[in-house]
Amino acid sequence: MEPGTAPSRVLSLGLAFMALIWVSPFAWLFTNAFDPAATGRLAIPQSIGLENFASAVSGNAGQQFLNSLLIAAGTATLSVLVGIAAAYPLSRLRIPGRNAFLWTLVLLRMLPSIGVLVPIYFAAQRGGLLNQLGVIIALAILNLPFTLLLLKNFFDTIPIELEEAAYVDGASLWQIVTRIVIPMSRAGIAVVWFFSFTGAWNEFLLPLIFSRVEAAFPMSVGLYAAFGLQGAIDYGFLAAFSIVYAAPAVGVYFLLRRNMNTGFAGVGVKG
Amino acid sequence: MRNQANPWITSNLPLLGLAMLPAIILIGALVYFTVWAFTFSFTDLALVGRKSVEWSWVGFENFERLFTRRGFLESLWTTIIFVFFSAIVGQSVLGFLLATALRGTSSTLKTVVEVCIMLGWLLPDIVAAFLWSATTSQTGLINALIVVPLGFRPVNFINEFALPVVTIANIWKGTAWSYLLFSAALDSVSREVVEAAKIDGATPFQRTWLVVLPIIRPHIATNMLFITIWTFTYFPLIFAMTGGGPGRQTETLAVFLYNQSFSRGNLGFGSAISVAMLLIVGALSLIYLRMLREPK
Repeated sequence: MEPGTAPSRVLSLGLAFMALIWVSPFAWLFTNAFDPAATGRLAIPQSIGLENFASAVSGNAGQQFLNSLLIAAGTATLSVLVGIAAAYPLSRLRIPGRNAFLWTLVLLRMLPSIGVLVPIYFAAQRGGLLNQLGVIIALAILNLPFTLLLLKNFFDTIPIELEEAAYVDGASLWQIVTRIVIPMSRAGIAVVWFFSFTGAWNEFLLPLIFSRVEAAFPMSVGLYAAFGLQGAIDYGFLAAFSIVYAAPAVGVYFLLRRNMNTGFAGVGVKG
Repeated sequence: MRNQANPWITSNLPLLGLAMLPAIILIGALVYFTVWAFTFSFTDLALVGRKSVEWSWVGFENFERLFTRRGFLESLWTTIIFVFFSAIVGQSVLGFLLATALRGTSSTLKTVVEVCIMLGWLLPDIVAAFLWSATTSQTGLINALIVVPLGFRPVNFINEFALPVVTIANIWKGTAWSYLLFSAALDSVSREVVEAAKIDGATPFQRTWLVVLPIIRPHIATNMLFITIWTFTYFPLIFAMTGGGPGRQTETLAVFLYNQSFSRGNLGFGSAISVAMLLIVGALSLIYLRMLREPK
């Protein structure tokens, strides 16, 4: 099909129309978020202001933003640290049972988290971990199979010759790992960290059953609790809150998109 | 083999073992939780009250309840409908059509469409739920732009057509993943094969159906495997939009599990539901993995 022919033009129009439909739900979100007198209706705002955003980052809402940040950064950092420590030996050692362990990871990666929800809740309740630390640990546990498999794959691509050369020059294991292996897979580690961060940032179910008080809610639960209320709903505030909540998750992807190529292809023999 | 040649590794074996310990403990915990889910399903453990401490074994009673009491089978049926229409018909087919259609178009249009559908995928579940509740409400976008201008009374979609609304919301949210996967798959189909079929006189439909689809069969199986499992166990979107209601119209298994475990407090029965879900997911995975392996 040559570009510019009639069917191709109809197709392009159709696709453009579909893209428009796809983003149309956002119209409501933005008109309400920037309208200080928003009523929840779809209407052109009479006045435009940032009051909604101001209230979406202060008070309880601001606290919930910090909670989300803490949970997401904590989960990502914990699972990446634990993952790196285990991925290097897994990548370099031929220990008996290694393949069985890797297959277990693949299976666990497929395990739906809702299937182990009750035992996780029960364990956290017994351990006095129905709080943010508990959420971080639980999410790190659920996230670890994925992190570990990806990090091992990154480490596999680092040529062993580099490590040999460093060893010949008298580097210790610690120096080899911190000066060669980690810097060379930096981009990959960043990708894994951001993936884990976004996953934990979006997480709703675990914080929902783990958090008892409004001050401990992350933004997902806070937003749910606010729009689940019947009666007087402050739509302007909720719309602004939604945008503040969604922005990091969306932004990280576009950050990641450029990093992705270096992450998966750039780890090479360039050294 | 490899470690014999690497003295910095062989001389540090205890240290490396120690480094693996935290991961082994956490993975062990996950395995332990899975085993626990099976164990709990044979008890009458409760969230609160006496039975949260002094629970007892009840044998297969929870599993009998799955089939004799109302709830589970209805939820299973709702889930099957939800998965079929939102994941298989919606996300897969739409994702494939988009990937096919966008191959011939300009790169600007392609980027615009990609970014638009990615926005749905990237949006946190609860924001998507909020957005779709608002869009389908009586004063929302659909009523304001389509229903009212056509002279009809505004419809409260989320109450009257709850299952279709959550199905569409999930298609909106999830199509990007299938699109990206099929887009990559189509890139792997060599041009020569398609051209050869064209020269042999195959229509565009025949080229897609008889040439392209068999080649990308493993990708189709992979896509099916993941989106079926995800949609089958998907919780936040439906829960936040409808809570399973009105009545039980949108109570999928994940919502049913949550309601039984944490609203009613029947952790034992909830575990039986999760065991049933794990078994169904396992069976589905086996079917798709077979599909992945055996070439036609």
